[in-house]
Amino acid sequence: MPREDREAAAGAVAVAIRKVGKRFGSVAALDDVSLDIRRGEFFSLLGPSGCGKTTLLRSIGGFEAPTEGDILIEGRSVLHLAPYERPTNMIFQHLALFPHLGVRDNVGFGLRMKGADRAETARRVQEVLRLVRLEEYGDRRVDQLSGGQRQRVAMARALVNDPAVLLLDEPLGALDLQLRLQMQEELRRLQRQLGATFVFVTHDQGEAMAMSDRIAVMNAGRLQQVGTPAEIYERPANRFVATFVGHANLVEARLTGRRQDGFAEAVSADGLAFLGQAPPHAGARDAVLAVLRHEKLRVHPSDTVQAGVAASVVERTYMGSSLRFTCRAQGGAILTADTPNDMPGRDIAEGAAVLLDWSPADVVFLTE
Amino acid sequence: MSAAPRPRDPYRWWRAALGLYTTLFLGFLYLPLVVIVVLSFNNSTSTGFPLTGATTKWYGQVLNSADLLAAFGNSMAVGATAAAISTALALLLALGFRHGVRGQSLVLNLILLPVLLPGIVGGIVLLIFFGYMEVRSDLWTTVLVAHVNYVLPFAFLTLYPRVHGFDRALEEAAMDLGATPMQVFRHVVWPILMPAVVATALFAFTLSFDEFIRTVFVSGHDRTIPVLFWLLVVDEIAPYLPAMAVVIILVSTALSLAAFAIGRRADRAT
Repeated sequence: MPREDREAAAGAVAVAIRKVGKRFGSVAALDDVSLDIRRGEFFSLLGPSGCGKTTLLRSIGGFEAPTEGDILIEGRSVLHLAPYERPTNMIFQHLALFPHLGVRDNVGFGLRMKGADRAETARRVQEVLRLVRLEEYGDRRVDQLSGGQRQRVAMARALVNDPAVLLLDEPLGALDLQLRLQMQEELRRLQRQLGATFVFVTHDQGEAMAMSDRIAVMNAGRLQQVGTPAEIYERPANRFVATFVGHANLVEARLTGRRQDGFAEAVSADGLAFLGQAPPHAGARDAVLAVLRHEKLRVHPSDTVQAGVAASVVERTYMGSSLRFTCRAQGGAILTADTPNDMPGRDIAEGAAVLLDWSPADVVFLTE
Repeated sequence: MSAAPRPRDPYRWWRAALGLYTTLFLGFLYLPLVVIVVLSFNNSTSTGFPLTGATTKWYGQVLNSADLLAAFGNSMAVGATAAAISTALALLLALGFRHGVRGQSLVLNLILLPVLLPGIVGGIVLLIFFGYMEVRSDLWTTVLVAHVNYVLPFAFLTLYPRVHGFDRALEEAAMDLGATPMQVFRHVVWPILMPAVVATALFAFTLSFDEFIRTVFVSGHDRTIPVLFWLLVVDEIAPYLPAMAVVIILVSTALSLAAFAIGRRADRAT
């Protein structure tokens, strides 16, 4: 038995996606996607619309049939199972609460379909309504609830069935910002409290960062990178991840040498020299893409420091909690820095001469 | 101190013209109905004016006429059956159409085409068809078939938008929660669509109840209300005709209003 199958059988893996593909005619909605979602983790599928994240989620739930590969839940292939036979529950994008049923009957629907005992159903429904803080609302009609309350009913309706995996299809997309942040916290609290496995689809990188144990970044049906929020952010695997998650300076450069301390040196076409994390599989003179996050680039007035890359401020943008300086370095490279609003130097004006510096540990070289 | 002169309404002639037009329009629509109602209480052995006194005896005759009660029974029975059959067929078709059947647009056009066929042509076609098939004209064969045939496209047209607009996510949610396809229908699709189905059935019933031109070709010795009415008009201008008309108007209006009210509830539900 291959290693990953042993792992799945041992129960550490809740959902195993194995080389899954989904083709609509000549278009591949999913292309050779493989990943393991661990039991008890909050796992996000992140990507722009049309990247295949929802198709993958619906394939786990049984609403789409992959044309290639296999999906295992708790070590068992589920491709031959209908949605009502799978140990998953889904929270739909527009919630899909039953309009003809009250809150209590919505929540108890799954238990009733499985023929659960009436008293037991009532008890479990009340219990899960308490869990989502709706114990007073059991008798309401769903159209008498606020947006946040409807979210909670949808969660309760899914969680009452004690699913092996809870699938969430951008359920917070329609909420305004305040409520959205509140529901993010609520979801995270529920997931920790229950120790359940959540698979969460979103196109919002901030949401994915704030909530997830691990994130899979997808684009054009393919998996781009899987990792913790910090890994995704600090060590993007390719240009797509570097640009889709956060803001970064991307500079085309060529490796010029490798140092003893593990850093590599590279120089851009306009003469900008970088030190950065040595890429593992790069040749000595390979072309690379130097990635430097906006907030890792520091801007100093010329008269306050000795060393740095000489530049002038082209544009200064006030963004509330931070300031954005767009700078032209000697040689012509354009670099952007985001500076916290309380930093000395926030008064630097457009046209000012500045020195830029950064830590080599914050530069990632991508080989493409 | 006098009030400032009010500016003259530049549209006053338009308003007057519109008022006159509306009055005439409503008059043309409703005056005949008012006349019928008035005449139904006219104490005169010949139908029509002049008015010679008030009576309710025609209503008594209408409600005690064996012919009329038989025809009324026939119309109710055939109407209910035709409504049930055509609504059930329309529902199955509409549900099937959501899944994108092969040749769907052809089937759709074939269902809707009879709406364009003039009623008298439809009646002759049915008459020739039943004659060729050697089916004897009778309430439960030819009349019922003619009515289902006539009502089905309308039932489908009424029901299809409601079924088509049904949120598929609700079915997926039910299935996700463990409901088998039969349970999905019973616990989600049916309860939500039921008001629309009832409204469609009532509408189908009123169409069947009012149908005359096809029925008269294939009714044989059995009479529905419109057929009886026509025979009464042709054979004799019976003095109780206006009273009969009023009774039929009341029944039809009540059913249509019920269908309308239930239909609105269905719209709010989906």
